[in-house]
Amino acid sequence: MFYRTAGQFKTTYQADHALFPVRQDAVLLGIVLILAFVVFPLTASEFAFRALLIPVLIYSLAALGLNVLTGYAGQLSLGTGAFMGVGAYACYKLISIFPEMNIVVALALSGFFSATVGVIFGLPSLRIKGFYLAIATLAAQFFLVWLFQKWAWLYNYNASGAIQVPNIDFFGITVAGPRAPAIVQYYFVLCIVCLLTFFIINITRGRIGRMWKAVRDMDIAAELVGINLMKTKLLAFFVSSYVVGIAGALFVFLWRGAAEANLFDIPLSFRVLFIAIIGGLGSVLGNFLGAILIVALPVVISSVPEAFGLPLSSATVEHLNIMIIGALIIAFLIVEPHGLARFWAVIREKLILWPFPH
Amino acid sequence: MNPRPDHSQLVAPDDGIARGDVLLDVRNVSLSFGGVKAITDISLNVLKGEIRAIIGPNGAGKTSMLNVINGFYTPQVGTIIFRRKERCSMKPHEAVGQGIARTFQNVALFKGMSTLDNIMAGRSVMMKRNIGWQMLWRGPALKEEIEHREKVEEIIDFLEIQHIRRTPVGKLPYGLQKRVELGRALAMEPSLLLLDEPMAGMNLEEKEDMSRFILDVNQQRGTTIALIEHDMGVVMDLSDRVVVLDYGKKIADGPPDEVKNNQDVIDAYLGVPH
Repeated sequence: MFYRTAGQFKTTYQADHALFPVRQDAVLLGIVLILAFVVFPLTASEFAFRALLIPVLIYSLAALGLNVLTGYAGQLSLGTGAFMGVGAYACYKLISIFPEMNIVVALALSGFFSATVGVIFGLPSLRIKGFYLAIATLAAQFFLVWLFQKWAWLYNYNASGAIQVPNIDFFGITVAGPRAPAIVQYYFVLCIVCLLTFFIINITRGRIGRMWKAVRDMDIAAELVGINLMKTKLLAFFVSSYVVGIAGALFVFLWRGAAEANLFDIPLSFRVLFIAIIGGLGSVLGNFLGAILIVALPVVISSVPEAFGLPLSSATVEHLNIMIIGALIIAFLIVEPHGLARFWAVIREKLILWPFPH
Repeated sequence: MNPRPDHSQLVAPDDGIARGDVLLDVRNVSLSFGGVKAITDISLNVLKGEIRAIIGPNGAGKTSMLNVINGFYTPQVGTIIFRRKERCSMKPHEAVGQGIARTFQNVALFKGMSTLDNIMAGRSVMMKRNIGWQMLWRGPALKEEIEHREKVEEIIDFLEIQHIRRTPVGKLPYGLQKRVELGRALAMEPSLLLLDEPMAGMNLEEKEDMSRFILDVNQQRGTTIALIEHDMGVVMDLSDRVVVLDYGKKIADGPPDEVKNNQDVIDAYLGVPH
């Protein structure tokens, strides 16, 4: 009833190729954007920005990058955390070598560093597939984290071995560092995430997206329709690592404020992979749903019992969190391998047909 | 039944070879895998504009022959001349660039994509806009997408699969999947179309439909077709010339009527001690 598509006719292919051929989808996205750009900033507390909103956006972006590689191009990667680290360290070095550099330029450039590293570690994908490739990317994970620890130049020979984000101004407003207000950081991250998401949506629905999906679904047939497997796979590694690298730089500069090498170790890779799987591989929306679930879950577990007068210790919260996420992953792999995004697709389909069953 | 719409505007690309001239010439090709000889000293040619059938009992080397033609296997001996140019070893995606498209014995579609996307994927090579335009989805990239969409819609119309345009192909019945696969091959605008058992596993009605499409592709678009098929009735009715393989060797070559009465062919199919 609310989602009726009857009466919305397309008379040109251009109209049919619009981002939202169904009007209700566009309205719904408008509502979400108003929530994100107006309602949340007006109502959210400092804690909500730092513990929920900013991390949700950054994890969504990282998962989006991974999804390009794993969900669209079908190349399993376990090195996401390390590629995020490359982005973060590249951004840190750029800012410390060129302190005058605009932060947006530094972020965009640091993406190219992680993209290059991603392509290098993507080279084995030309010969190996599936789990074996996953192991090859695991090598990237261990090697890069080792490099972050051992190569002192990367963290400017700090005694602590950690990178510390300085105060950075963006046209007179402090966006990163200890002095930056959370609301500014939120808007900054939100704009970047929206922009990159828009780009990725367009890439995945056009020619390149179809080539990635073709390689994912049947690589031999893809080759026989004239797709160059090598170029297509490496392009997927490039785009994926670019987005992941920017997510990593945002992760440190706009959220954590400081980072050590082991922050980018394998638990981070798994976390992003879980978000992509729970959200739904091969979907853009899923990354956001998955990130909301994974980031919000521990907050909900600790705050809801507290509201009912049953405060849980932080250790219990953590254990509960791990157990619930573990159970969710198993449940999703069995019940709905396409994740939360598929749930939404099913609900939407039902709403379009409602009140009729077919 | 309504008369079928005219699709004569969909023509095979002009490759400078007149109808009836040799488009593909395979000369003395041999292919072996270790000690197993798949193809032994076979020569055959395909003329522009004809429907050429390759038949033979199981294991005769028919599919290997197609794989040699589209570059999937490189023969140890022999030469292949396509469009008057001798060809050295090449990758399958390079064969596509030269104008060879094919379908598979077992359907090889992109299961997670819709019918429309599958056929659009067949045009990937012809689409040139780079990632910078693609990510903006404006200007040249959008224009290109719509131009190719129009071509693809002509193919969808031709194959009468409008109703499944948005359906993921993994959910389609087998007969329709075969049709989508033919559509994807046509989208590549080949000058030579290779069909590997286009009618395997189909019922009579689906076979009749598919035969109609093959004839229409050949007559309206002028596409040259080489096909492998086991249904002798279909082969004899469709094809202009038939080549018969057995144990990797050519045993007969000629028009259907001649081949049908060839003693070697009858022996190969009925089984005579070699």
